[in-house]
Formats: sequence, structure tokens, C-alpha cells
Amino acid sequence: MNSAMTKEGLEQILDQALQDVTERTAGVRLYQGNQPLGEDLCTVHITFDKGFDTSLTLCADTALLVRMAQNSFHEEAVSQEDLEEFSKEYFNVLCGKVVGAMFRATQVSAHFGAPVFYHGRYEPEDQDVQFILTYSDEHSEGAQLIHHVPRVHEDGAAPNHS
Amino acid sequence: MSKRIMVVDDSRLVRVQLEDVLKGTEYEVAAYCRSGEDAIEQYAAVQPDLVTMDIIMQGMDGLDAAEIILKNNPDARIVMVSSLAYDDTFERAKAIGTRGFVDKPFHQEQLLKVFGQALS
Repeated sequence: MNSAMTKEGLEQILDQALQDVTERTAGVRLYQGNQPLGEDLCTVHITFDKGFDTSLTLCADTALLVRMAQNSFHEEAVSQEDLEEFSKEYFNVLCGKVVGAMFRATQVSAHFGAPVFYHGRYEPEDQDVQFILTYSDEHSEGAQLIHHVPRVHEDGAAPNHS
Repeated sequence: MSKRIMVVDDSRLVRVQLEDVLKGTEYEVAAYCRSGEDAIEQYAAVQPDLVTMDIIMQGMDGLDAAEIILKNNPDARIVMVSSLAYDDTFERAKAIGTRGFVDKPFHQEQLLKVFGQALS
């Protein structure tokens, strides 16, 4: 999303998409704040491979994702597989909303790959954090939406993946 | 008689959501495919009244899968169900010959309206 728009503009798009999709998909309201995450975490990561050279990561308390998955599946017991299914679909929808809003703002058409799920915290290689939006809910469980950009090496060049 | 829907989406969550939303309506989920490749393979055997197709999936994306299904079955009625709801994807979906676009997360009213239009 790089140079196509300002950091503030992108933060606003991400914030709106996250709040809207979280409430509509899982019936949970998240509020921006500074509460640190717990120790039991899950991460979902999506890489943009056309339009924008960037990636988005959602790192969240497992308890929050479990509750969101329970609400979405209408089931009290959710398996690890359900948790992963929910997390990937939720983040897929969120990123779709972001791409739509980015297109309306910049006329740049983006494409992203299938989401990847990790237990614990995941940091994409060769990328730096540009900014982090931190959220929590009424149960003080939290999530971080992290925008990564390609790491610029000392010679000023972005890494070559070819 | 129920209208038979083939759901193409790599997420089981979407299947659950669609079954919830279609409960008590004239539609039933007749088949569920987790990839575009699976949908292409199953279409002829299932012969659904309508296909709902996600876009971002593992392997072939939903627009490419829809294009192949329509090439092999020009009468197929396909509705894209995706969060990638913006001009660029709308235009490609329309150019391929799909019958509508439902934005995720979806509502029952929106879904039934687009299904009705696609089948009319």
C-alpha cells in the first residue's frame, strides 16, 4: 500500500474494515487501545502479490479468536480446525474490504494470496513493521493488526525474491 | 421443489453461514466444493440450479473457475460471493458471464435478491 496513499489514510481504511468485519462476521466489537496481548496467541498472515508490495498480519489472543469462531459457527465447542478455518476466512474478508477501499481511494487494483494461519506470533521474513493497530474487546482480550512493508537493505534496494 | 445450490468456497464457515441463511427458503445446498478445480470436476455430475463462487481460494481463483465452468456449460448460473467487491472484480465477473455478485459478509435479504435475479 506503500506509497499509493498516506499512512494515516491506510490506518483509517484498516481500522474501519476491521471494526466492520469483526462485528458483522463474529458479533464482537473491538476498540482501539494500548492493551498488550496475552501469551496464548494465534496469527493470520496475508501477502499482497499484485498492486501493493506489502503484507498484513493479525495477531490475536487465542481466546478472542475462539469466541469469535464460536459466535460464527453457532457452536460452543470449536476444534483447532474450526479456529483455523474461522481465522482464515475472517481475515480473508477483512483484506477484501481493505482492497476494495484501497481501489476506491487509489484506483490501484490489488490481489492477495490465501491466508496462512500460525499458532503463536509470526513475523514475516524480510519485512519491517510500518505500523500496528492495537485493539481489545469488553473481555480485555486483544488483537493487533500489523502492516508490513519490504525491508530496505543498506544499499537502498528492496529484497529480490526472484 | 427446492433450487439446488453448489457452494464453492474453501471455508467451511461460509458453508455454515449459507446453510443458516438459506434455511426455510426455496434453496438448498446440494454440493460443496472447496476449490475451483473441484467445482469444475463436479459441475456436470451435480447439475445445480445455481453456483456460489468465492474468489480467493487455494489453487485456481474463483473467477478463473467460473470462466471454465461457463465455457463448458454456457447455461450455468454463477453468483460470485466474495469480499473483493469493487469495480475491477465486478467488471471481470460480468465479462465472464456470471449472474451476480454478493459481498461478504452477506445478509439473507441481499443473498436472496441476487439469487432471484440470477435465476430469473
